[in-house]
Amino acid sequence: MNTLIDPPKNPITYARVTEDVIRMLDKPSAKWWALFIPTLMFVGLGASCFIYQVTTGLGVAGYRHPVFWGVYITDFVFWVGIAHSGTLISAILFLFRARFRMSIYRIAEGMTVFAVLTAGLFPIIHLGRPWNFLWLIPYPNSRELWVNFKSPLVWDVFAVTTYLTVSSVFFLIGMIPDIAAVRDKVKETPRKIIYTILSFGWKGSNWEWLHYTRAYLFFAALATPLVLSVHSVVSWDFAMGNVPGWHTTIFPPYFVAGAIFSGLAMVITLTIPIRKIFSLEDYITLDNYDGMSKLIILTSCIVGYAYGTEFIMAWYSGSPYEWGQFVYRATGDYALFYWTMVICNCIVPIALWFKKVRRNIKALFIISILINVGMWFERFNIIVISLSHEFDPGAWGVYKISFVEAGITIGSFAWFFMFFLIFVKTLPSISIAEIKETLPVPKKGGH
Amino acid sequence: MSQKEKKSGIKRRDFLKIIGVAGGTAAVASSCSDPVEQIIPYVIPPENVIPGIPKFYSSTCRECSAGCGIIVKNREGRAIKVEGNPNSPISKGKTCAMGQASLQGLYNPDRVRSPFRYNNEVKRMEPVGWEAGLKELADRVSKLKSEGKGDKIVYLSNNISGTYGSLVKDWLKATGGGKHYMYETFSHEPIKKANEITFGKAEIPSYKIEEADYLLSFGADYLETWLSPVNNTAGFSKLKEVKDGKTGKIVHVEPRSSMTAASADKWVDIKPGTEQYLALGIANVIINKGWGKVSPGNVSAKVSSFTPKVVSELTEVKPELIEKIAKEFATNKSLAIGGGVANTASNATETHVAVNILNYICGNIGKTVDFSDTLSISNTSSYGEIKNLVDDMRAGNVELLIVHNVNPLFTLPSELNVREALANVGYIVSLSSFTDETSEHAKLVLPESSSFESWGDYQPRKSIISIVQPVMNQIFNTKSAGDILISSTKSNESLKDTFTENTYLEYLQSAWKKVGEYVEPRMRFDEFWEKALINGVVTVDQPEQIVTLSPKLDSIVFKPPVFSEDGDYYFITYPSYRFLDGRGANKPWLQELPEALTTSVWDSWVEVHPDTASKLGLKTGSFVKIESPLGSIETQVFVYEGIRPDTVAVPFGQGHKSYGRYAKDRGVNPLNILPSSFDDLSKGFAWLSTKVNLVKTGNEDLLVRTQYSLSQEDRRIAQAISLEKLSHNDDHHESHEEHPDFYPEKKYAKYRWAMNIDLNKCTGCGACVTACYAENNIPFVGKSEVAKRREMGWIRIERFFEKNEDGSLDTRFIPMLCQHCGNAPCEPVCPVYATYHNPEGLNGMVYNRCVGTRYCANNCIYKVRRFNWFEYKIPAPLNWQLNPDVTVRSKGVMEKCTFCVQRITYAKDLAKDENRLVKEGEFKTACEQVCPSDAIVFGNLIDEDSKVAKLSHDKRGYAVLEEINAKPGITYLKKVKQEKV
Repeated sequence: MNTLIDPPKNPITYARVTEDVIRMLDKPSAKWWALFIPTLMFVGLGASCFIYQVTTGLGVAGYRHPVFWGVYITDFVFWVGIAHSGTLISAILFLFRARFRMSIYRIAEGMTVFAVLTAGLFPIIHLGRPWNFLWLIPYPNSRELWVNFKSPLVWDVFAVTTYLTVSSVFFLIGMIPDIAAVRDKVKETPRKIIYTILSFGWKGSNWEWLHYTRAYLFFAALATPLVLSVHSVVSWDFAMGNVPGWHTTIFPPYFVAGAIFSGLAMVITLTIPIRKIFSLEDYITLDNYDGMSKLIILTSCIVGYAYGTEFIMAWYSGSPYEWGQFVYRATGDYALFYWTMVICNCIVPIALWFKKVRRNIKALFIISILINVGMWFERFNIIVISLSHEFDPGAWGVYKISFVEAGITIGSFAWFFMFFLIFVKTLPSISIAEIKETLPVPKKGGH
Repeated sequence: MSQKEKKSGIKRRDFLKIIGVAGGTAAVASSCSDPVEQIIPYVIPPENVIPGIPKFYSSTCRECSAGCGIIVKNREGRAIKVEGNPNSPISKGKTCAMGQASLQGLYNPDRVRSPFRYNNEVKRMEPVGWEAGLKELADRVSKLKSEGKGDKIVYLSNNISGTYGSLVKDWLKATGGGKHYMYETFSHEPIKKANEITFGKAEIPSYKIEEADYLLSFGADYLETWLSPVNNTAGFSKLKEVKDGKTGKIVHVEPRSSMTAASADKWVDIKPGTEQYLALGIANVIINKGWGKVSPGNVSAKVSSFTPKVVSELTEVKPELIEKIAKEFATNKSLAIGGGVANTASNATETHVAVNILNYICGNIGKTVDFSDTLSISNTSSYGEIKNLVDDMRAGNVELLIVHNVNPLFTLPSELNVREALANVGYIVSLSSFTDETSEHAKLVLPESSSFESWGDYQPRKSIISIVQPVMNQIFNTKSAGDILISSTKSNESLKDTFTENTYLEYLQSAWKKVGEYVEPRMRFDEFWEKALINGVVTVDQPEQIVTLSPKLDSIVFKPPVFSEDGDYYFITYPSYRFLDGRGANKPWLQELPEALTTSVWDSWVEVHPDTASKLGLKTGSFVKIESPLGSIETQVFVYEGIRPDTVAVPFGQGHKSYGRYAKDRGVNPLNILPSSFDDLSKGFAWLSTKVNLVKTGNEDLLVRTQYSLSQEDRRIAQAISLEKLSHNDDHHESHEEHPDFYPEKKYAKYRWAMNIDLNKCTGCGACVTACYAENNIPFVGKSEVAKRREMGWIRIERFFEKNEDGSLDTRFIPMLCQHCGNAPCEPVCPVYATYHNPEGLNGMVYNRCVGTRYCANNCIYKVRRFNWFEYKIPAPLNWQLNPDVTVRSKGVMEKCTFCVQRITYAKDLAKDENRLVKEGEFKTACEQVCPSDAIVFGNLIDEDSKVAKLSHDKRGYAVLEEINAKPGITYLKKVKQEKV
């Protein structure tokens, strides 16, 4: 288990690790700008679409009776799902001492924070009167108006804000020793000051390390239940409703597994280009991908099992509404989306059972993108298909996405990548400290 | 004081300045977000107006010939709602959707706002003052009179019985003996003619559906447009009353299952144009079996050859069914009616003679058919006469044509070429309030005021004279038609002495003096007049009429119908209960009211049987060309099981080329492909005279509807119970299981508002939908938004096509609105308490608090919530109709039925003043108030004696989706199915 890192041709030393990671923080290249500027433009597109929507009315989105939630909530659940694997990789796998997490957990954590920042926009974007979104937060006010604690949407506000807080803290704390390392290398003033502040005066003393590792363990333990709770709460947005296709007890585990599934896929999608661009093959190794792929296989199976269970429960319940809903999913107006989901989430990951595929970067990249697509459609299917086909056949209807929703969705991806691009250029994307832990200790006085 | 001021360190003046500046800044800042609306008080308040307290005026609905008495609610000088006048024997306190929407005629933004005259120099219409306009008319008239061409003046109007008719007569007499034509597109000439042939009375009697137990309708769409639909529906409701396990029965014979057929117990899909044979066949059975109540005399000979077998071959109706209907018809208190514009073929008069024979032999004449109280529509000109007028016009024999409230260019077949005829008329004057197809050709437009702005009266039938009174001030620079005629004479020397009266009101009152002397001889006129204005209706007793068979009956020969034999499919066009002959098409509420069977809005369609559709490769939404020898029209297909495979049907009323923004360029006018053929005997237009071909165009688009599912997929939304089961006790409590609850049961102290809807009575007419739009300021959204299912109606009438045991079509309607659940799924999911359960059982909706998460709408199992996707703008002056008691919702908030909470509050306020509880029946919700069939009952469930409490325990009562346990406040009463016919 201790030989997860292949013996490198150019052996990794303490010095090389620091150098390699800090190299990533060099002045942005033209390539970086070529990525960053279009990203900003797409963020602008999303923002203009949102402004247009606020000034004109929510009617510019594709909503129609009886589908009152659509792409925005799909995006919300999708991004919350993406946010999951960050904490999973950094906290749970840390507790389980799964060492393949080590080289990727920083990227995963960054992804988590940015994904929550993206996800958090959507509940506001989707409001009919977004300027009143503060009313969803219980704050003391002279009118003595309070939120309705029975509403899952209020739980959602708590769950997401808590998750954002904890994952940000975890992200920043985990980075302290690394930032200190960067601080020591950096010369220019503004950067130096920023890194100095963020490193909280880290000196790397034994005493500090002792307390730091303890604290990190506790944070990991604290963050672990959140991985389960956040997406469980998100799933209650649906499971607490009585819409056929929503109202089911399987949702919390099903959503958590799906979230981890999509989150891992997203980590793979993101790390593959970074690994290539920054030549990090020695750090993010095929063994790492192999480990993640195995987790993907597991979660894919859970998700597939959930799809089957939903069908069986719908049939076994004898409820015409439930059964009608699931037959409609597979054969109705949205059948194409349903089968896209099944193929991407259950069929495609079968390839990962083969070791050759698990260790083939190109294949992994394609598979991970397909899983992302599949998981987006899973959320879309749960939300939109269920609402389209409820109890009263007199009120059935089919939803169509509008260009404003597409624009905002594209904008949200750009918004996420914008943060990510800034992140790889400003903060150490690979944990210097943890990599060093796995290296043979350099001989004293070696230099 | 001054000491203190000094001490405080700030002077009073400075303080006021600061306050002023601060306040001003705040005002400016706040005005950035939303425009501030000022409440402007009356500087000099008018007498008798208390702001906030409505006033009610009795009047008469002039949307069709039925003449329903109405009460118009006026708030602060504006008419805001029409309701039926309970004193009126016609409306019985109800109206139809057209009546509800009549205010949109009054406030229509496309109304002609002042007189216009054609300017020869600039070749266009230009505004002109009333004086000049009236003088122009008077001068032309007097010139014609002096040239001896006074008889070439024609006054063409709709059916205007009552005083206005005599004014026109007087005016025409004074101007040289011109002619007055009363033209109604649907004037039922064959009924009149058949009555002349059978009974020697060329009149239309009143049919008393309410007195019958068994109604046999040969195509008469009595729930939609036939004669007096609101009155008929009241009769229907009485007949459909379920008492002691018994109820009346209705058999409807028509090639197409119309809305009326859908409410019948049996729909007989007869071969088009052969209704007469079926009537004769039934009569044959009755006479042969000796079931008749009156000695048939000569009639026997007339029907003897029509044995069930012969009839069955001619009509494609099974012989057993003929015998069964005959037996039921003869043994019950029955009534046979006939007509229906849709089925008016070349042999329409013969059909009505056959229907008369049926009524006669079963002794219905004088009982359910009342000739003593005939309808005023009997007096209208026949199609033949109108056709002759058009020919006269074409020949240049009409020097001056005054068009009033009719639109012949739209309502006459294009084969008649009215356009060319109009071009040959010397001078056309239009009194129309709208620029429609016909008045576009006028050289002088003198816009008349709406019936809500003018005095008048109307006599829908002999026994009833109904008042028309202004319910508000003129909106535009218009005059009532009576005043136009009277003051036109005043502006010319030679005509000056025509009338002694100066206004139409004086003329009207002098006519009413005679009415008063006859009806209430002992009463002073001003007392009588006031009483009439309050009541709205004066009834005049009519002597009973003895009706006997006329010898003319011997001459009748029952001819087969004549069709232009070019096409494969019989072509039916039927009058729409929303637009009638197209006059309703400019009212957005009616355009947006989903048609009962298709749920289509804002457009036309053609109904095609599924077999025919699959043969031609058509689907709902396919565009198809309907070709007759005269031309073609192109519209979208609606695949409909309720039509014979050899027949296609297009509704009438759309296809305007003018008539305002809401009507123009929408749908098709079927009259463009109908020949100008008529029924030989009555000279009535033969609407059913053509066979057409369908040509697939290959184009396809969404046929915009409000409901796309056809069936309820066994989900027991609209339930039915067989009469047999109902009369036994075994069905009861089948579905009333007790469900365990997590939360304690809700307790209500004084009120639990609840509703009952009787599906056996609901006809799907949509009057409640339109009334709800009017009462609750519901915006109309237009076709493109309805295509996105964003119609805002708080009530929708769901329509499901089910199958009877014998495979025949069973159409069910169920009005779906907020159920005000005791255990409402929408309430717990709202994060901000914008929707909540109020102590009286109402599911409240706080618009101000709503942030628009729309979770409530997702979680509503009845899907009755509507979201404001946009800020809906209602063009002025349509917005004058808005009810000041109801908030106009802004974009981004949810809304839904409130059970007319403003009416509840108003009633509670009144009750509180008198220190009592609200009494049963003290107020009604808008939908309950309007429902012509009394299907809706609203009230307080706590009050054990209330109707709603009693009905909630009715054997037929059920809650929709009961198993979800939302505990809805609405109990539906199951539709009653008769045993197989």
